[in-house]
Amino acid sequence: MRWVRLALARLRGLFADDRADQDLREELESHLELETAELMRRGVNAEAARRQALLASGGLTRAVEAVREQRGLPWIENAMADLRYGLRSLRRNPGFTAVVVFTLALGIGATTAIFSVVRGVLLKPLPHREGDRLVYLRQATDGLGGENLLFSVPEVRDLRTGAPAFAGIAEYSPWDAALQGEADVIGLHVGLVTGNFFEVMGLTPVLGRLTRASDDGPGVPPVMVLTHDFWIRRFGADSGIVGRRLLLNGQSVPVIGVLQPAPYFPDQVDGFLNMVFSPHHMSAQMIEGRTHRMTELIGRLAPGASLDEARTEVATIHARLKRGYPEAYDPGANYRIAVVPFKQAIGQRAQLTLGLLIGVAAFILVISAANVTSLTLMRGVRRGHELLVRTALGAGHGRLRRLLLVENFLLALVGALLGLGLAVGGLELLVRLVARYSPRASEIQLDRPVLWFTLGLSVAIALLLSFVASLPRGDSEGALVSAGPNRLTGTPRKQRLQRALVVAQIAVSVVLLAGAGLLTRTMMELSAVSTGLRTEEVLTIPVPLRDAAVATEKAADAAAKERFRRMADEIRGLPGVVDVGIGSSTPLTSSAFSALDVKVEGRALSTGQSVPRAESRTADPDYFRAAGIPLLQGREFTSADRYGSARVVIINQALAGQLFPGESPLDRRIAWTGDVLRFSPFSGEWRTIVGVVGDTHDGGLEAEPPATMYMPFAQELTYLGGLVIRADSNVSALAGAATRIVRDLAPGIPIENVLTVAQLKDRSVAPRRLNAVLVWSFGLLALIIAAVGIAGVLAFSVSTRTNEIGIRMSLGADPTRVQRMILGEGGALLLIGLGLGLPGALFAARAIQGLLFGVAPYDPATFGAVAVLMAAIGIAASWIPALRASRVDPVITMRAQ
Amino acid sequence: MADKQDVQPGTLALMILRTLEVLGPLHGYGVARRIEETSKQKLQLNYGTLYPALLKLEQEGFIKSAWRQSENNRRAKYYSLTAAGRKRLAQEAREWRRTADLIAAFLAPREEAP
Repeated sequence: MRWVRLALARLRGLFADDRADQDLREELESHLELETAELMRRGVNAEAARRQALLASGGLTRAVEAVREQRGLPWIENAMADLRYGLRSLRRNPGFTAVVVFTLALGIGATTAIFSVVRGVLLKPLPHREGDRLVYLRQATDGLGGENLLFSVPEVRDLRTGAPAFAGIAEYSPWDAALQGEADVIGLHVGLVTGNFFEVMGLTPVLGRLTRASDDGPGVPPVMVLTHDFWIRRFGADSGIVGRRLLLNGQSVPVIGVLQPAPYFPDQVDGFLNMVFSPHHMSAQMIEGRTHRMTELIGRLAPGASLDEARTEVATIHARLKRGYPEAYDPGANYRIAVVPFKQAIGQRAQLTLGLLIGVAAFILVISAANVTSLTLMRGVRRGHELLVRTALGAGHGRLRRLLLVENFLLALVGALLGLGLAVGGLELLVRLVARYSPRASEIQLDRPVLWFTLGLSVAIALLLSFVASLPRGDSEGALVSAGPNRLTGTPRKQRLQRALVVAQIAVSVVLLAGAGLLTRTMMELSAVSTGLRTEEVLTIPVPLRDAAVATEKAADAAAKERFRRMADEIRGLPGVVDVGIGSSTPLTSSAFSALDVKVEGRALSTGQSVPRAESRTADPDYFRAAGIPLLQGREFTSADRYGSARVVIINQALAGQLFPGESPLDRRIAWTGDVLRFSPFSGEWRTIVGVVGDTHDGGLEAEPPATMYMPFAQELTYLGGLVIRADSNVSALAGAATRIVRDLAPGIPIENVLTVAQLKDRSVAPRRLNAVLVWSFGLLALIIAAVGIAGVLAFSVSTRTNEIGIRMSLGADPTRVQRMILGEGGALLLIGLGLGLPGALFAARAIQGLLFGVAPYDPATFGAVAVLMAAIGIAASWIPALRASRVDPVITMRAQ
Repeated sequence: MADKQDVQPGTLALMILRTLEVLGPLHGYGVARRIEETSKQKLQLNYGTLYPALLKLEQEGFIKSAWRQSENNRRAKYYSLTAAGRKRLAQEAREWRRTADLIAAFLAPREEAP
């Protein structure tokens, strides 16, 4: 009961007005009078009595303060007062406040944005049920196109029956389909899956149902499951979608359900269909061809089974297969199967970029915290006198610490709010960057855990700032107060800390700038890579024709060829068009499943040597000229190279160098070979090489140009296809008209990705540019912060040394010498910073080596330029305080003493 | 001055209550003087110690206060014991005596040893 009454009284006291104070003062005054009267009665004179009474009281103000603390809830009152005081003092120093808040906003904003990316892509648990039990199987060999071979149906069968460590293995085969809408045709990327796919993946539908075992095998109707994203994008999240029929590749397929949102893997698809949708997947060659590898495998570990057990079982089965089917596993190519945890497989490509981001964020946080700490230290010294006076007036040590805490919390929270704004703004850029590497980019958001992270970060910074500043110690108060404000210069230890912080800022800036420089060089080197085409005024139109009839009916094939010829003819009629070529695919794009084994007439492979491989393509007589691919030897195709005439090929330089090093390839004969050839539209007949053309960077600018063999368009089946259009100028203006012509002549075929060569090239360069822009923007910010840091610490040093400088000058030092002294001080910081930063940058560059192209991680030019830039900025930043130092007037300084 | 000492925490409330019991309604100055005298000037009470203690006792309901004319015609705030205060004092005094006896027994010279 007692404490309740006490609490109530105190709560009332919180709102007590001045009357209570007034009452107290009167009471204390009466006490004083009573005591004075008593003393006078004992014979002390009036004045002395009053003084003695006051002395005995121990200070009226202190007493009022003590009673007030008893009266209300002092910590709330104090906190309010501190808050008011903090706001006022921050308002009085708008420069300091602005710089600190801005710097903190940068640091906190960058860290928050990047934390949300890391959380979304790496840390968040997968949406799949028990996602950590999922594994991805990858079969690989050495050589061209061997990093992920996929699996064939017989291989899948063998793995399924012999590996009890798996609760289930699901098949997934990427496939393309054309969706005929009411007004348009679009190309869909779909996954053909087995009935157990979603069960194994641990995913559930948001609408309808997913595939199941009864959807497997021939003789069942095809069904489609939409991805969540495609359902929203194409159908506006129509809840009545289940049961609707879609026209896919001319077949009517019902939608049976919509999948929950989930990361795309192995690739980004619009929907899933059962295998029966594709006649090819039901064909004997698919089901019986051991080397017909078109299937990705995802397994779920059986309860209690470990990853190692799964690996051992898979290795045992694989070894048995290699012994049993030597023709399917070329011993020279080192066939192997990796069993990779699903999360790792998903995150693999994003790893380097995420590492870069985390590094950049950490650096920005370090540099901004260092800068703010250094500013706070300086301000702490400047206001040291104020704090002293407050101590002398009765503010306790704890109260002062609280005051600093409140101020720093204000700064950190305002900084964090601004930082969150920055993070929201920058997140879009980051998501775009990460989406190139991670299927989980859509899961990135500023959700509650991220906000907690930001809050925690700000609190940590506020605490750091409040505890680096040392408070005046009780025993030295008197001496310090009487010394006056000018004698407070901060201890040497503190100045050392400030200098160390500036050095850290310089070093970190150097690391960031070096990274930015290397990434910029990468981008420049990549843009400078020749595509292999002579001109950029080239437009490419892929025409994904998939008419299975061309393989069996001569008429269908002839009709397809005629269609392409008419497209070319009509486009030739457009103004400005110089050449139009036709081929199986357009240059600078890679196509799946097009690499085949090659053999040379009269040459046997020694055992253990891996079989050479080449990309298979077709081209008409105008193709090379239209694309600007230079003819190096021999001749181009002519209209005489067609069905019935002698089989001829043109190879590119890469293949020529690989097959015929140091000799002329012309008139030699080569042929496709290998087990996979059966599944391609081409035959294994001998073909005479009639020409050699230049290489093209079909696999991206950073990759080596692939070895390629071109066959005459008119001598092979028409399967897939593309048009290459060259104009005399401004080819992109033709895109609309050319696309319309192609659409009119190829109804039902999705015409997408109509791109100029310049745009194709940019697809390689754009991600690098994004990297470089990102690191540059942070690098420049770091540079600005470091410059502010240098200027600040030197200006502070000058202001504390005004006396010393005044004395030096009155003893004959000229302004230039003083200026040199301060510049030297800055130069020393700069040198140490560079000395630490450059090795750090080397280390960092090695870490991001995988993101570099055409530039060594120790590139001397970049490092030199960074050092010069940093030095120039550093000296410029030192100049202002140096100039101020040289303008110190000795007379005024001395008189101020 | 050397033998002046600060009031031990917890004991001041008891001294105030006892003073008010013995002397009846009294102002702060009177309480301070009485405590100093009783301690033979060994205790010194400054305002910052005395008045918060008075306020606390008042908040707890053990004493009440009112402005009155003092004996030599000055206005002063007089504190007096409430019923609760009286009970509290009796209880505290009993506890203190028990504690003091106990401590005294412990600190007594070892004469009872055989």
